Amino acid sequence: MSAVATDRSEPRVDQVSVRALAIGLGAAVCGAILVALTRDLGPGAGVAIFMLAVTIAAVSGGIWAGIITALLSSVALPWIERPASGFEFEQLRDVIASVVFLAIAAVVGLVVGNAAAERRRATEREREARLLALLSSKLLTGDVPDRVLDEFVALLLDPFGLAMCTVQVVLDGHEMSAVARRDGVELGGPTEVLPVVIASVPLGTLSTERPARARSFTRRERELLEAATRQAAVALDRARLDARARLAQLDAETNELRAAMFSSVTHDLRTPLASIKAGVTSLLDVTTVHDATQQRELLTTILEETDRLNRLVGNILDLARIRAGALIPRRVPTDVQEVTEAVLARMRPQLERVRVELQIPEELPEIAADPMQLDQVLTNLIENAARHSPPGGAVRVHVSREGESVRVRVSDEGPGIPVAQREKVFEPFYRGREEPERPGSGLGLSIARAVVIAHGGRIWVDETGAPGTALVLELPIEEPAA
Amino acid sequence: MKVLVVDDEPQIRRALRTSLEAHGYTVETVGTGDEGVVAAAGQHPELILLDLGLPDMDGTEVITRVRAFSEVPIIVLSVREAQSDKVAALDAGADDYVTKPFGMEELLARSRAALRRKGAGEPDAPILTFGELQVDLAKQLVAIDGEQVHLTPTEYGLLEVLVTNPGKLLTHQWLLRRVWGQGYGTETTYLRTYVRALRRKLGDDAAAPALIVTEPGVGYRWVADAS
Repeated sequence: MSAVATDRSEPRVDQVSVRALAIGLGAAVCGAILVALTRDLGPGAGVAIFMLAVTIAAVSGGIWAGIITALLSSVALPWIERPASGFEFEQLRDVIASVVFLAIAAVVGLVVGNAAAERRRATEREREARLLALLSSKLLTGDVPDRVLDEFVALLLDPFGLAMCTVQVVLDGHEMSAVARRDGVELGGPTEVLPVVIASVPLGTLSTERPARARSFTRRERELLEAATRQAAVALDRARLDARARLAQLDAETNELRAAMFSSVTHDLRTPLASIKAGVTSLLDVTTVHDATQQRELLTTILEETDRLNRLVGNILDLARIRAGALIPRRVPTDVQEVTEAVLARMRPQLERVRVELQIPEELPEIAADPMQLDQVLTNLIENAARHSPPGGAVRVHVSREGESVRVRVSDEGPGIPVAQREKVFEPFYRGREEPERPGSGLGLSIARAVVIAHGGRIWVDETGAPGTALVLELPIEEPAA
Repeated sequence: MKVLVVDDEPQIRRALRTSLEAHGYTVETVGTGDEGVVAAAGQHPELILLDLGLPDMDGTEVITRVRAFSEVPIIVLSVREAQSDKVAALDAGADDYVTKPFGMEELLARSRAALRRKGAGEPDAPILTFGELQVDLAKQLVAIDGEQVHLTPTEYGLLEVLVTNPGKLLTHQWLLRRVWGQGYGTETTYLRTYVRALRRKLGDDAAAPALIVTEPGVGYRWVADAS
């Protein structure tokens, strides 16, 4: 590939020389015309004009253009200034003057041309430095490797006049690539392919292609491309290390959560099982005689613990379904009043020890919701409120319309939740510190939140204005647009 | 009284056999849907307890097949996670469902209610009494404490369907077809409006119901016992 680039660079040298020749010739001709027109001003004027022509040629066309102009001017100068001269001495003097002029003009052309070239190089270096600085600022942002690659190829298009830029690397066994393409530009111009080396291991390639009929890459451009690629490699390496570190941290957090869940689940599953097994083995034991009261006591315990186990298993299954993304509401027109009343009717045995106050407005619109999931959420909230209520305390269920949503507020007169922990109650397996042994899996509210969010609603903990907790949920009346 | 238990779990079959036999029922147990259909046809059980999660076929399929030749009461045993299957089973012709794990007393109560409905056929007395509520099916009159309650024809139609299917869980779709006609089935809002009106006129509190119980997303059940 690079061989192709070298071949194509040959005509370029010719073009430059032709350009210098043209500028040199042009400047000399212009100078001669000017000198001829201003002949009356005396011999000094001609020298000055030609010197100006040499300087302009050197600035715009480089050293060679300056020298060509100087050469032509030195020949033309005596001929234009004194076309009718015929004296030997005069001719000799003119030759000496021409040679001196040539020497001065050559020096001026050389100095001016060099200075111009130096300035061009300086501008180029500045542009290169700017590009590299831009690359490092854009690439070293701690982004993921894929984004670094995308940014990199996009940034190269303009400064190198590329039609297409592709990078392909294999990082940690994953193949990654990025392509940037300028729209509406025909491919097929000069190409340049460079290795992407990370920590002295070649891990991929950068392929660039200019538009059809574009000029080849110069040596400087190739070097700059190499520098840019090196910089991208550094950014990529850093991004890779960052990603690894993040993954490791996430892994640690997940493990911690998993460990907490595991110990909580194990404890919550084992406790009722232990009570059940103890009760049953006691009843089956032929060596002990239980009276009717004792039997009833044991059997009641077994029944309660079975229910608790059943609730816990149900909640864990729900959580698993939520985690698997399988909790999709089957929305139908649902009457919040009807569901709320049904939940209260079904929970009556559990609500005997509290006072239930239900408040529902006459005109409440139906909402697009899954009635069974709403039933479950309300059951969880009311169960929660009843569990934290002191005996005889009020559990208030207030339903209201709030704009385009229906709001259900379930409050109790229990100990309340400190402000700092109000978001924590929605985390799986969270339990208030002061009540580690209360029944309940610590899953009800996280399931409620997942269901409410799946409906496009929200749920939060609110003040009651007195000791106690209020859980408020808001569900949109219409199904939110996807 | 013969009960057919269709469940693939041997432990459940054993527990049900023991408990039901202790209550004086004759119990036949099978483990697949196919055997269930065969036993329903050949042994003429008076009640079928059917698990929805069978290895060989969908429980709803069993109901459809049995309903092709028999009106025997079917009570579905299902896990809570299969809510929509439950509605499908009821729509296919099941009489009721009990969620696993269930208490024996609940299953027995549902079984008794189902058997009573079957035994009753058309109510002998045209007047049904539920405490203070009286429904005269012949004259289509409703009274509370002797005081006549005025119902619209649709409200009365709904009440009649409910009181003649006591204890049975009636799905939205079934009620709509039965009261409004075959063209209906999804207009749950109508149904809800009429149930609410009926509750108000009969003085039933939905949050502590004595007459009509709501099963959200499924349907309604008449729970008052005729005296």
